[in-house]
Amino acid sequence: MDKSMLADLDSLPEADKQRMTVMIDQLQIRDSLRMYNSLVERCFSDCVDTFKHKSLQKQEETCVRRCAEKFLKHSMRVGMRFAELNQGAATQD
Amino acid sequence: MASNISPSALDKEQIFGMAEKEMEYRVELFNKMTQTCFKKCVDNRYKESELNMGENSCIDRCVSKYWHVTNLIGQLLGSGRPPM
Repeated sequence: MDKSMLADLDSLPEADKQRMTVMIDQLQIRDSLRMYNSLVERCFSDCVDTFKHKSLQKQEETCVRRCAEKFLKHSMRVGMRFAELNQGAATQD
Repeated sequence: MASNISPSALDKEQIFGMAEKEMEYRVELFNKMTQTCFKKCVDNRYKESELNMGENSCIDRCVSKYWHVTNLIGQLLGSGRPPM
């Protein structure tokens, strides 16, 4: 969630600030749960192909860990670039 | 019911409603961009947990292009903003 959204809250009257904060918190919770679900789906479909065993095999677990770590790093990078674009920064090709 | 609400209170409701929709839209845009660029740029064999140089370059360009496509489609739809 954008921290810059929170900066604008300071100019609001207290009740409105409260309401805005609740709205942002709910959005954040919903967004986190959605990300969790989509990450599970992504990493499961990329990493688990066989079902000879019911427990996760070592190779599968390694793959899932790498998948999740890569996604989180990817998401951070996208966030930085997205913020730059929102601020109208020029980007080189 | 409407007569119980003062004009300024009604305006405030509309403003909050629009603010919420705006935030939801931005979060959704970010999520779609993230999912799309991950799918296009990241090798799904996961040989290591770090993003490599090629993946990083691709991600940066993907985000920029996705942004431009979003704006282009918005213009073509004539609203200046994609419909929510």
